[in-house]
Amino acid sequence: MKRILSTICCGALAVLTFPTTVRAQEFKVFDRTVQIHGFASQGFVHTDDNNWLTMETSNIGSGQFTDFGANASTQITDSFRAGAQIYDRELGQLGRWHPELDWAYADYKFKPWLGVRGGKVKTVMGLYNDTQDLDFLHTFALLPQGVYSTDMRDSTLAHIGGDAYGTFALKKHLGKFSYTGYVGDQLQSIYGGYPYLLQIHGIYIDHTGGLTYGGDLRWKTPVKGLLGGVSYEGNHVRNTGQLNPSVALGGPDVMVPYWEQSRSQFTKQIYGEYTRGNLRIDAEYRRFWRDFTIFNGQFLALIGTHAWYPSAAYRVNKRFEFGGYYSHFDEYWIVTAPGQIEASCECDPSRHIYDKVVTARFDLNMHWYAKAEGHFMNGNAAGNLPMYPDGFYPQVNPNGLEPNTIGLVFKTGLNF
Amino acid sequence: MKNLRPILIVLIVLAFASSRAVAGAVKVIANPSVSVSAVSSGDLQSVFLLDSDSLGGSHVEPVLVKGGPTHEAFLKEYLGKNDSALQAFYRSLVFTGKASMPKFLDSDAAVVAYVAKTKGAIGYVSDEASTAGVKVLSIK
Repeated sequence: MKRILSTICCGALAVLTFPTTVRAQEFKVFDRTVQIHGFASQGFVHTDDNNWLTMETSNIGSGQFTDFGANASTQITDSFRAGAQIYDRELGQLGRWHPELDWAYADYKFKPWLGVRGGKVKTVMGLYNDTQDLDFLHTFALLPQGVYSTDMRDSTLAHIGGDAYGTFALKKHLGKFSYTGYVGDQLQSIYGGYPYLLQIHGIYIDHTGGLTYGGDLRWKTPVKGLLGGVSYEGNHVRNTGQLNPSVALGGPDVMVPYWEQSRSQFTKQIYGEYTRGNLRIDAEYRRFWRDFTIFNGQFLALIGTHAWYPSAAYRVNKRFEFGGYYSHFDEYWIVTAPGQIEASCECDPSRHIYDKVVTARFDLNMHWYAKAEGHFMNGNAAGNLPMYPDGFYPQVNPNGLEPNTIGLVFKTGLNF
Repeated sequence: MKNLRPILIVLIVLAFASSRAVAGAVKVIANPSVSVSAVSSGDLQSVFLLDSDSLGGSHVEPVLVKGGPTHEAFLKEYLGKNDSALQAFYRSLVFTGKASMPKFLDSDAAVVAYVAKTKGAIGYVSDEASTAGVKVLSIK
């Protein structure tokens, strides 16, 4: 922690005193310009009750909230480009400094209305799915967690496959449509929230992913600054690993092979954005449904979530921006495993998180920023025996969960 | 209050005149290799927001200025974004692999020099800037 802070401080001092030293790098390869860009962020989280996002936040707080990435890309011809980005993070018990290839693909644009990409591609869904890790782009230290839960980001973040995309203008000044369609394998990280949650049931996932397909359609309307769109993703997920039956099933204390797979899984999202001058207003709704066979086909788990938020942000000047949002998340479930109780009403704290957030962002210069954010959460969506996480995990809350949580998040970061 | 009315009218006219002066204070320039001599504001927006990389069949590459009144006027008039929003927009493309960061130069003279020597380059300068070696595009 001290080493990270001192590194950030030294880097920040360099940026402040020599603002031109930290910038994107360019060099030539076979007469083609290659650009190098990077970023890093460090956060600190404190909560009054309940440890949050797998961190020990309820005492002094936790600085296990770090990430960084770097990319290289080049325009090979007027129509053909290629690039790759690596990413690494620690979020409490998640990530744990296992670097990953964030994206790496080749992109060919035939026409403005038709391009193709192939490789590992960030999934376009809603306003921020493909940029949710890029903290420096956003007003908020944590995007609305109901829709963009940072611990569950792997479930929609990227796919290995191909995209077709394009933009076309509508006649009679009706605006523009942009579309993306994709198909591939959604190879997820085993260091994300869902594999971590399953450990309380004695399940240790070593592979998670499967077929994914979907699309996004967005309309830049004739009203200046108004954008709207819809996204859909379908999945056929199969997770494999090891199970200790003694933990959840009262069986022997041995490790046996484990699998679970979806019978039906989808995510639907609808969104809108309005920008006027220095004001930006966003709103999104996400519906998720998962029908899974679990414990090697013995039981069924049906889980559905609704999440939505409105947000607003206003840039006062080059250095200061403030904003806020209300995030609604509710989930319901029916699980046929022993000990599972069908979800109670949404009014129960175990079924929802309603989060009211205010944020201030300071841009010290083009490369360095800091954020201060308050979260006022009603509910913990932890379930009676959780099957789908949204921020509150029993492993770091062994004494149970309080119904409400106040959280403070401080974050700083660099990008070039 | 009656004595203040003419002053208020003058102030309103001056405010309007100054905003119009800012809006009209930008010239769009291009390398002579760019085939068009006029461009619509919609096409200009598409080029600078990296939706399109061609004008009239010519491949184009946008060039911008690092800040200043010309830059602010161009963003307000043609892109509908402030500088912070534009930088965030470009970075969202760069950090998802969809585009390279466009070139930002320090002054009008640097923009004119770059546009003059670079095939397909398109940029903007203040009304008063010299445009030797480049063509000025009219906005239709």
